[in-house]
Amino acid sequence: MTRVTIPVGPQHPLLKEPLSFRLTAEGERVVDAAMRLGYVHRGVERLVQDRSYIQNLYLLERVCGICSHVHTTTYCQGVEALLELEVPARGLALRTLTCELERIHSHLLWLGVLAENIGFSTIFMYAWRDREIALDIMEDISGGRIAHAVNTIGGVRVDVEPEQIRLAQHRLDELQSQVDELVNVVKHEGTLRVRTEGVARASLEQIRGHCAVGPIARAAGLDRDLRRDAPYAYYDRLFFNVITAQDGDVWAATWVRVLEILESLSMCRQILDDLPSGEVATRAPRRVPEGEVVSRAEAPRGEVVYYIRSDGSDKPARIKIRTPTLPALSLVQHQLKDINMADVPAVISGVDLCIACADR
Amino acid sequence: MGGRGMEAEALLEALREVCPDYAFEARTMPVNEIVIDVPARCLEEAVAVLRETFSVHHLSTITAQDLGKELELLYHFWHEGGITLRVGLPPNDARVPTLTGALPGADFYEREAGEMLGVTFEGHPGPEHLLLPEDWESEPPLLDGDRAGGDEA
Repeated sequence: MTRVTIPVGPQHPLLKEPLSFRLTAEGERVVDAAMRLGYVHRGVERLVQDRSYIQNLYLLERVCGICSHVHTTTYCQGVEALLELEVPARGLALRTLTCELERIHSHLLWLGVLAENIGFSTIFMYAWRDREIALDIMEDISGGRIAHAVNTIGGVRVDVEPEQIRLAQHRLDELQSQVDELVNVVKHEGTLRVRTEGVARASLEQIRGHCAVGPIARAAGLDRDLRRDAPYAYYDRLFFNVITAQDGDVWAATWVRVLEILESLSMCRQILDDLPSGEVATRAPRRVPEGEVVSRAEAPRGEVVYYIRSDGSDKPARIKIRTPTLPALSLVQHQLKDINMADVPAVISGVDLCIACADR
Repeated sequence: MGGRGMEAEALLEALREVCPDYAFEARTMPVNEIVIDVPARCLEEAVAVLRETFSVHHLSTITAQDLGKELELLYHFWHEGGITLRVGLPPNDARVPTLTGALPGADFYEREAGEMLGVTFEGHPGPEHLLLPEDWESEPPLLDGDRAGGDEA
């Protein structure tokens, strides 16, 4: 049969960010796939070397437009470890609260994108409507819906009043009832299952080989979550389950993510119900002693890694950033082979790509 | 940290077996990372030991940096704690074997380290640029300005 090469991207309705696939098809079957990255490469790893540790907070928050807070969390944790700073409990709690609100918003955003890409506009609209509630809570706490500027080295920059806590609790109740309904839909809705079950099935072996992380790894049965395995911030004081599944297909990943939203809602409540009192930050010196650190955190898409080396000045000598999308892309390139052309949207959106993150 | 100390000892023991003519030593790095120097010629064997004997399958990433005297690759692994293998390379002959055979996930990390620091990963199946444009002709961006001749030059 004749082979046809079909370019998808860098600008394509399927992709929300620039990325280029070249799919080789035989009839309706995709037989080969190649990928090209770098359309939004901004050279962040080089740019950080010319900025002070404080200035870098604002640059690194912009590595990702979805999970901006987890980047500054990982960065601050690393710098705090080099400075041997003790962050006050209230600061850690508020940092973790924002992490979990961000996870809720990211997972709902993803659910909407998947639904739209498989032609299920109703879920797309419901998911994005509900996501607004999480954004409203973050706006009320920090003033920013997407870039929150909550973190600073030594703690957080914002504090919450009792009035704000009550409002957030009320909004979380509202969000909970909406998400319960979404869980119901994901569980029982035949259309969603037909388009996602058995699609892009990843074995544990493949997940390990491509070093994939986060919900897609947990959906294939890899029981790894840094919030439990290497507790940072406030996670050692919270009760939560790590959600896993076995099938490793897009449906399993969907199921893992919607249940993770419920866990995140519970964590937000635990923090707001029992917020420790006291300061939200300790003062951090401008200069950071010589040394190196590897800092890890669990972003909505999985493990984020920051390597930071200080030469004793007020600017980092090297920061290496690894975002969860990079290994996910490695897996997706492999999964795009030998599938139906009609499943391409489900495969690409199933792994929850964040291209700006991957390109840096 | 007691558990991690024992883990480091066991690791060193196993590494000495596969690469007997090298004096392996372990140090720690915050936030809970064991760091072991590995010569480039023993890298494949060392990674095989990690994977087969210690079930360390997850390569988080590879950090590439220019330390002046040498170029440095840090292979950050994770298994119930961080394990970093450090490979120092001479700047005029920076070569290291690829890990893509055993770990397909190393592909992107090696391509990025290759284009950003000018390291050659021997045996890599497709060492094209990952993030930089295909027609990028300047020096690798993360090389020290002095060595690369500087942007002004």
